[in-house]
Amino acid sequence: MTQFLRKNLILILTLAAFLAVFIAAGQGMERKDFVITLLRGLSVGSLTFLVASGFSLIFGLLDVLNLAHGTLFMIGAYLGWTVYVRPDTFVDVLTPLALLIGGFTLSALWTKLSALLPASARTNKIFPWALLLVAALLAFTVITRYPISSWDTENFSQAPGSYSLMLDQGAPLAPPAVSFDKINPALALLGLLLASSLGAFGLSLFGQQTQSPKLTVKEFIPFGLLALIGFGAFAANDALTAFLTGLSNNWLFLIALLVATLSGIGLGALMESTLIRPLYSRPIYQLMLTLGMSAIGIEVVRAIWGRPEFVMPKPDIFSGSGQGCPATTLAAWWDKNCSIVLLFEGRVRVYNEIFIPLVGILVLIAVWILLQRTRLGMVIRAGVQDREMVEALGINVRRVFTLVFALGVGLAALGGILAAPSMGLSNAMGESLLLNALIALAIGGLTSYPGAALGSLLVGLLQQFMIKYGQIGIAIPFTEIIFKPTPPIVPASTVLLMVIILLLMPNGLLGKKE
Amino acid sequence: MNSLAAIFRQNRASLLTLLGLVLLPFIAGMFEGASPAAVWVNAAGTSKFIQGLAIEIFILALYALSFDLIFGITGLLSFGHSMFFSVGAYLTGILLKSFGLNLWQTIGVVFLAAIAQAVLFGIVLPRVKGITFALVTLGMASVFHILVMSRELGDYTGADVGLQGVIVPDFISPANERLRFYFVALAVMVLAYLLYQRFVASPTGRVCVAIRENEGRARMLGYNTFSFKFAALLLSSITAAFAGTLHCLYQPIVSPNTASMGFTVTALLIVLLGGVGTLNGALVGALVYRLLDFGLRRYIGESASFINGAIYVAFVLFIPYGIVGTWMLKSFEIKKGWERLVGMVKK
Repeated sequence: MTQFLRKNLILILTLAAFLAVFIAAGQGMERKDFVITLLRGLSVGSLTFLVASGFSLIFGLLDVLNLAHGTLFMIGAYLGWTVYVRPDTFVDVLTPLALLIGGFTLSALWTKLSALLPASARTNKIFPWALLLVAALLAFTVITRYPISSWDTENFSQAPGSYSLMLDQGAPLAPPAVSFDKINPALALLGLLLASSLGAFGLSLFGQQTQSPKLTVKEFIPFGLLALIGFGAFAANDALTAFLTGLSNNWLFLIALLVATLSGIGLGALMESTLIRPLYSRPIYQLMLTLGMSAIGIEVVRAIWGRPEFVMPKPDIFSGSGQGCPATTLAAWWDKNCSIVLLFEGRVRVYNEIFIPLVGILVLIAVWILLQRTRLGMVIRAGVQDREMVEALGINVRRVFTLVFALGVGLAALGGILAAPSMGLSNAMGESLLLNALIALAIGGLTSYPGAALGSLLVGLLQQFMIKYGQIGIAIPFTEIIFKPTPPIVPASTVLLMVIILLLMPNGLLGKKE
Repeated sequence: MNSLAAIFRQNRASLLTLLGLVLLPFIAGMFEGASPAAVWVNAAGTSKFIQGLAIEIFILALYALSFDLIFGITGLLSFGHSMFFSVGAYLTGILLKSFGLNLWQTIGVVFLAAIAQAVLFGIVLPRVKGITFALVTLGMASVFHILVMSRELGDYTGADVGLQGVIVPDFISPANERLRFYFVALAVMVLAYLLYQRFVASPTGRVCVAIRENEGRARMLGYNTFSFKFAALLLSSITAAFAGTLHCLYQPIVSPNTASMGFTVTALLIVLLGGVGTLNGALVGALVYRLLDFGLRRYIGESASFINGAIYVAFVLFIPYGIVGTWMLKSFEIKKGWERLVGMVKK
């Protein structure tokens, strides 16, 4: 016991200091303010945690400092918004996307085919590039003519913000009608499929595998699924759109959460397997690559969704008002779906201050179970400790790398769509959150999962208490001065906390000592 | 006399480049038909514009050079490098504008401040390593960024608008005496480059390279690695602060963006473009970066940073050693190939 105390003396003292500050902070304000501030801190902490946990898993296992994580958070928000506000666009995009990916899932077939080609050094150098070029041109030709009902960032009345606003007012804008008038539908579908097949075939020619894999029915399952989605969404386009539009927007929000998370997972897997994987031997370059990816991602979002910020309406279950609101009991809330409940006489927004922390805690527990109770989690934990040993034991660490990267990005995307209704959507939402997450991780310990949770909580609470005290002012003891922290002090306070903690404990609060 | 000729022969390319840079304003003037005399008295025209662009490149090169010393040579990944630069820029502006010091006193104070911030980073240095050092320096730099942006100090720093209205001494004013400014900036850059080359070639610099390669082994050999890292940090801080001073004198506004993390990333990008740890790569990188940025913004407009990002990623994936680094690698092969060719002809 005494040994444990002596070993963790600094940690215990720091935590005690936090507790003391926390209690002191609670004394300085009214009870209802304290509760609200606490809940807001939890909310910010939860969002930070969703970014930070993925970031720390990726850094712990892969040693990749993924600075594009904030951008991926933002992309998750924008994708979720699209599903939620414009389900028709989502349905329209489904077909070309599924068909374009389709060809790449048939890698076994392409490898088999490439073995049949006559081997000639000269043609083998030019041929793949030519195929890729043809595929890219074909895809470009079809996509630019393919009818996708979209918004228009140049035209204010059809900008994403306007769609959002009108949906919130209860009078959704009618999406522009589109039809196949520039291209024959059958030709378009075939063209997309052909483009992806040619592209995949061209790529398979680069790596000359010596052994050819067996062609079994199993290899064709993903392709079959994608083709089903693609052609199905094409055939039932109108019905699907009508179904989604007619759905209650609570369900639609759930679908948006799912789609954002899944596309985050897909994006993460794609990014790891194509861009990050060649760079494992050059760690600094990975960092620069993710910086570049982050710049590209922001520009892509600007090109598609435009620069202005806009809001996303909350689902009905969190936005009720009128008679009987704000609710005082759980039953009353369930009855009216009030957007605000009274808690200790403070007005608490249900979505921002109760739903987000709940999801954060759920994810915390789910990932904790994944890490502690499953085989994959065991491999991840072992890999964080000693990667080479795990590899030596005959476990395919590379596949686990891809899985972890995908999982991390998926969590960030989930955080993005969760944050969208409360924070709104802007091009800069990722950067501020990434900085928060970095600070939280540095405080908690870079590769420690509980550290990520603790650090996020501390950052969230500190920020919110600073903002609250910015309004009511801190009376400095023994003097008459009332000190009011101004907005710039809020980020500065967390940064200062990070610097102090890192100087005291270079590995963070819960990081492992080397 | 003989040795002088040898020096000339060895550094033919560098000396020719220097000569080209000295003559650049006059040559640029000639394309427009302006006589060298007109350029000499700072007549408005293409030459003046080219000089302005070149001055910006020199300042960027100086800044990137200082980053290459700690990142490429010594192997310290600092995300707070923009602070080194912006402290110099802001301090120069504030001292000239609000405190009425003259230029030489200002430079003296900036020099002291540069030492002070190197000491500040030095305090952190032995405690945290690797990525944690990057985070702590990022933290310190963002505190400075927030200070610069804060409204309380707005009277001095101009808050988020930026520091403007600095009265530059007449003899170096970028509007009326731009040619002189051009030569001053060129001289500072060349001197810094020579100093850096000397530093890297010196025993101290060699130990810095050893620390980059394997710090544990350098310590095992009996070197106090901290003092070497601190020396590199000190030199880098002073250079970056002087780059900031020049920036403040040249630009009408010191934007708070120079204190942000984005500006550190700019240095990283320049060094990557040119070649990490090559010193002259920083100069080449600054040239390419500024011209690329200028051209893209002019002809493509707002989405220029998309192409910037794409170039960045392409460099990381396909040209990891940068322009100079790749040239150094390939030039050996070219030379070998040339020799083989000559050998075949002789036979």
